[in-house]
Amino acid sequence: MFFFNPEYPVNPVKKIIFNSAKVLQKMKFTGNRALILGGSCDLAISLARRMIEAELFPILTYRNEKGREYISKNLKDCQKKYSSLYLEFGNRDSIDSLLHQTGDVIDFMVDFVQGNFESLVASADIEDVYSYFAENVSFRAEIVKRVARIMMKNKRGRLIFISSAAAKRPNPGQGFYAAAKLASEAIYKNLGLELGGHGITTVTLRPGYIDSGRGKKFIQDHSKEIIDKVPIKRALTKKEVAEAILFYLSNSAAGFNATEIPMDGGLTAGK
Amino acid sequence: MDILEEITEILAEILDIENHNISPETYLIRELGAESIDLLELAVAINSGFNIDVNDDEIFLRKLRDYITEAEQQNKNILQYLVKNLPFLSHKRLENIIADLEGGPTLKVKDLISYIEWQNHGT
Repeated sequence: MFFFNPEYPVNPVKKIIFNSAKVLQKMKFTGNRALILGGSCDLAISLARRMIEAELFPILTYRNEKGREYISKNLKDCQKKYSSLYLEFGNRDSIDSLLHQTGDVIDFMVDFVQGNFESLVASADIEDVYSYFAENVSFRAEIVKRVARIMMKNKRGRLIFISSAAAKRPNPGQGFYAAAKLASEAIYKNLGLELGGHGITTVTLRPGYIDSGRGKKFIQDHSKEIIDKVPIKRALTKKEVAEAILFYLSNSAAGFNATEIPMDGGLTAGK
Repeated sequence: MDILEEITEILAEILDIENHNISPETYLIRELGAESIDLLELAVAINSGFNIDVNDDEIFLRKLRDYITEAEQQNKNILQYLVKNLPFLSHKRLENIIADLEGGPTLKVKDLISYIEWQNHGT
């Protein structure tokens, strides 16, 4: 409870923001090593920073040299508190190499990876459709399977899939993107259903508009439309999303399993 | 600890049963009631305990009946077809399996041991 003290007139909201790093440190986690797939996106880097503050050890994956450099540049003040490893969705050999280097302990996995594919269903190049699902669904199934088996050895693990509000409410042209997201959500959901009793649980988050990465320019170009559509009248910040992910990894959120949680400011709640 | 002892320990823990109920001739599914989630746990424990790659479909003979159907459809000798597709099992064991199909799932503890020995020898 906040008591107003006239000697120290502190704005309670500012006080809470000021203490957010301490709040992160107070979250309790079962485990330490967190694999972040798609580690070179801004959201992943923001999450990695908060993980480090919470004394977790993030392992961020990158798919090319540019990604590796981007991670290194943005976390240059966090040397030895994280690692970065190569993983390219679609390249099955890269899974062997990744898991060989991560070793036998992965306590958490956060999956940001998603190739973009915009096309009207009736005009899509069908070869692109086949390869898109191979990369974004089948490959994901393989890495989820293999990480789950590593987690089974340690009898614990928590996986979070970052889906999208578009999985529930796609725009024209997002049919394949939404289909791949929904298929991936189903893989994670079933994993939590099947292995929950073995200490391995899953959550899918469905963020809406985020002022970060791929969505940033869209949000800048369509700010009025977003304000009209989203009940909270703004896009989410990457900090908000990163802190929510960290919460869902924490012991306090252990009761959430095999489920999808919208985080879209109410975007998909109404008509 | 030999392979049988180690497998017995693993099975006893996963299925929450006494070690003396397990022998090489014990049926995993028919007698011990192992379910798919138990077999998954067993595969992970074998992978970890014996440091070998485990293909769940192979070690648990999941495609046995598919192979038999394929052999029949292609007019091939069933035993020879199984020898080719389940190379870790002996001719004698495969003959016994073919004779035993009507009784239900044929997987025995000794089949797991054969798979582990086969993987250990890198064949």
